[in-house]
Amino acid sequence: MADFDQIIVSEEFENTDVSLLETLDHVLNRGLVIAGEITISVADIDLIFVGLNVLVSSVETANEVVRKRKPE
Amino acid sequence: MKLYTYCLCADVDTFDNSISGVSGAAVRVLKIGDVSVLVSDCEAVPVTQENMLAHAAVVRSVLTRTTPMPFRFGTLATEQQLQSFITTNKTAIANKLAHLRGCVEMDLKTTWHSSVSATTKSDREVGPGTAFLREKRLELLGDELPAAERAELSALLRTELGSLIKDEKLGVLPSGKPGLAKVFHLVESSKIKEYREKVQKLREKRPELQLEVSGPWPPYSFANIELEFPSQFGVS
Repeated sequence: MADFDQIIVSEEFENTDVSLLETLDHVLNRGLVIAGEITISVADIDLIFVGLNVLVSSVETANEVVRKRKPE
Repeated sequence: MKLYTYCLCADVDTFDNSISGVSGAAVRVLKIGDVSVLVSDCEAVPVTQENMLAHAAVVRSVLTRTTPMPFRFGTLATEQQLQSFITTNKTAIANKLAHLRGCVEMDLKTTWHSSVSATTKSDREVGPGTAFLREKRLELLGDELPAAERAELSALLRTELGSLIKDEKLGVLPSGKPGLAKVFHLVESSKIKEYREKVQKLREKRPELQLEVSGPWPPYSFANIELEFPSQFGVS
């Protein structure tokens, strides 16, 4: 197993080859998703992504769906 | 108050305050059991290049100390929601952190021409409606690669890179056409140099693949644990 003390001094680790486009691709399209809800806003309009590239809806619509799903 | 989340990790108690989070917010460590969560107090996150890069910078800064499980950009949660998520998925998170420990993600892009896809019906042989729906299906499936193509590409790379690959994810865009295949490898950080050398050898051996390598990355492509979406939303 690698020791991360080695990473800090590793030239290979410092010699990163990453582009802006790839960085944005990673943070936008990958990573841990919790509880099926990611909230972001564009131009002051909140959006919710439900699932992985499955559905994009307005917060209002998504909240309505959630309300209907909750037991009375 | 909601929390903007950057990553989950173990063995991190403090954060370097010289690195700002999204919207310039301070980043702090929230301890939930054995798991540390890097968060900023934040109600909303405008989608800007600066904020995306801030997210990436915070996650990358942790990579020099331990292997993080990065959250996807834009993830907001209350402390209660985070506690619930981590408590509910305690075992899965511990297993994932153990799996990722000491590793980084290396990405390969290649002009992959699958012999499998070449034998299937091309879009020219189907109607425009079918072609359209195929495209939409691929969009919805995201990076999913058909099993036969996955096996073919995986076999090639495993032959050449072998034991350096601790884990692997493959995708192709657009699937079924001669195009760009994306391969994400989980590699021990001490083997980055060896990985690059082997990729270079493969590049010389198979120049038609036009291999491009990038990294090391925090393991964004390996961060997800099993999701509840399929059962909740009937997604298959």
